[in-house]
Amino acid sequence: MFSFSTRPARIAAFFAIVLALVVVLFPFVWVFLESIKPPSLGGRPDVWVFPPTGDNWNNVLFQSDVPSNILNSFFVAFATVAIALLVGCPAAYAFSRFRGYHGARYSILAAEMMPPAILILPFFLVLYHLQMIDSLAGVIAAHLSFVVPVVTWFMIGFFDEVPRDLEHQAMVDGYTRFQAFYKVILPAVRPGIGAAGVFGFVLSWNDLFYALLLTGGESRTLPVAIAGYWTFRGVDMGKMAVAILIAVIPVLILSFFIQKHLVRGIGGGAVKY
Amino acid sequence: MQLKHRFVLPLALVLSAVMLYPVAFSAWISLHDYRLTRLNDVRWVGLDNYTFIATDPGFLNAMGNTITFVIGAVTLELILGLGLAILLQRLVRFQNFIRSTLLAPMFITPIAVGLMFRFLLNSELGVISHYLGEIGISIDWFGPQLALFSIILIDVWQWTPFMVLMFLAGLESLPKAPFEAARIDGASAWLTFRSVTLPMLRPVITVAIIIRALDAFKVFEYVFAITRGGPGDATETIMYYIYQAGFRFFRMGEAAAAAFLLIVVILVLVIALVKATKSNTEAPNDV
Repeated sequence: MFSFSTRPARIAAFFAIVLALVVVLFPFVWVFLESIKPPSLGGRPDVWVFPPTGDNWNNVLFQSDVPSNILNSFFVAFATVAIALLVGCPAAYAFSRFRGYHGARYSILAAEMMPPAILILPFFLVLYHLQMIDSLAGVIAAHLSFVVPVVTWFMIGFFDEVPRDLEHQAMVDGYTRFQAFYKVILPAVRPGIGAAGVFGFVLSWNDLFYALLLTGGESRTLPVAIAGYWTFRGVDMGKMAVAILIAVIPVLILSFFIQKHLVRGIGGGAVKY
Repeated sequence: MQLKHRFVLPLALVLSAVMLYPVAFSAWISLHDYRLTRLNDVRWVGLDNYTFIATDPGFLNAMGNTITFVIGAVTLELILGLGLAILLQRLVRFQNFIRSTLLAPMFITPIAVGLMFRFLLNSELGVISHYLGEIGISIDWFGPQLALFSIILIDVWQWTPFMVLMFLAGLESLPKAPFEAARIDGASAWLTFRSVTLPMLRPVITVAIIIRALDAFKVFEYVFAITRGGPGDATETIMYYIYQAGFRFFRMGEAAAAAFLLIVVILVLVIALVKATKSNTEAPNDV
């Protein structure tokens, strides 16, 4: 399986990889088993074989608020990414192409690093005064603060790789600069737009901190709902397991498609590989 | 308006609304006695919040915990990530399956990761604790001694994949010639790694450490999901401290001051890190 030159090295490498796979996969396997355990066996650490039941799944999917939490999370992530791409793409193009934006490039990176602790207080207070705590619009605004910089940073890297001749040719053919950007360059970075969009979606979908403080009741997102399954008042393992899997599965599927593009995106044109 | 500015204008407007304005507002809050319970009585206090926070044992403890957490987690992730990346690069079969499986944890919502491990490591319900108990090992994962270390391990589980991703890309882009030369000279695998691979990977390693460390400073979800800062204040991190100050004790002024002090600490560390790695890369390599 490995291209190491000696046999002991190959064997050691094999066991190391198997160990890594077990460490990564075991938590998912156990959480899945918990989700289909009959309630009488719930939370028992020594039970591996049992008649599976769909009770927990039924309960969470059809008799709890989780479906509306999923819709909230999806709506927030989708709206955030749409706005982020709309404002991020033209700006990233400008940072990649025009002179005089060297500093701007790195202030985008600095914005990406801003601790949420600084932003949460003003967001909370402003939304409180507007009586918009518990609204999805508030969470979307808060999520824009980290998704917009990330998406812009990603796109700079992708635009950097498009040869300048492409839009020059288009402009010779009579396009304006904006038309060249819109009709020639954007289609050329389509995989990058997809990767940046999916990555931004995952970041928003996964956020707990802002959603915890800016939503409640009807507007709760999925991570906030998951956090509610284990409180000081008690825990329902089976239902929590279902909620965890529901939050995790779509993200894993999405992430599978963007892994190839992720490194270039994170590097943002600052790291040349 | 110049054409190039028109491309940037929408971004500038959005970021002014969701970043510049909140940061300025936060700075203003940090200079006032601003309590959520007394919104009609907000008083200017100058730097009082800063001097209070900078000498508050709770804040210093949280800062210490956070720095321990960041150094511990990033170091372990760096070593494991480098090792796994080298193994994955040499993998010739089942490449896609194994790579995407090992990268999976970094995409999962941290609150779910926190609750999963709280469940797995729980002293009564946890499957890991149960089987360790069977062979006579009893570990109180979230007790006063180990809680911070357990939180570090959870972070390592979730974020080592990020290091793997960065290093794999770095390794695959390295030129082949220096490795050929080392092989012809009869260099051992260890010597090749130390004097060829590592120096050439250094820029990628620096970027990966900085990105990961900055992210690790924001650790909140595992603490929220598992220990709520306890036992005592053993796992209270800066983000959790600020969350408590602002939203449980409603002292917005102090919370804002703590957030700005956090930025100062982060800036100092990043500059130190960049300086340290710069002087290293400029040193001559004896390859």
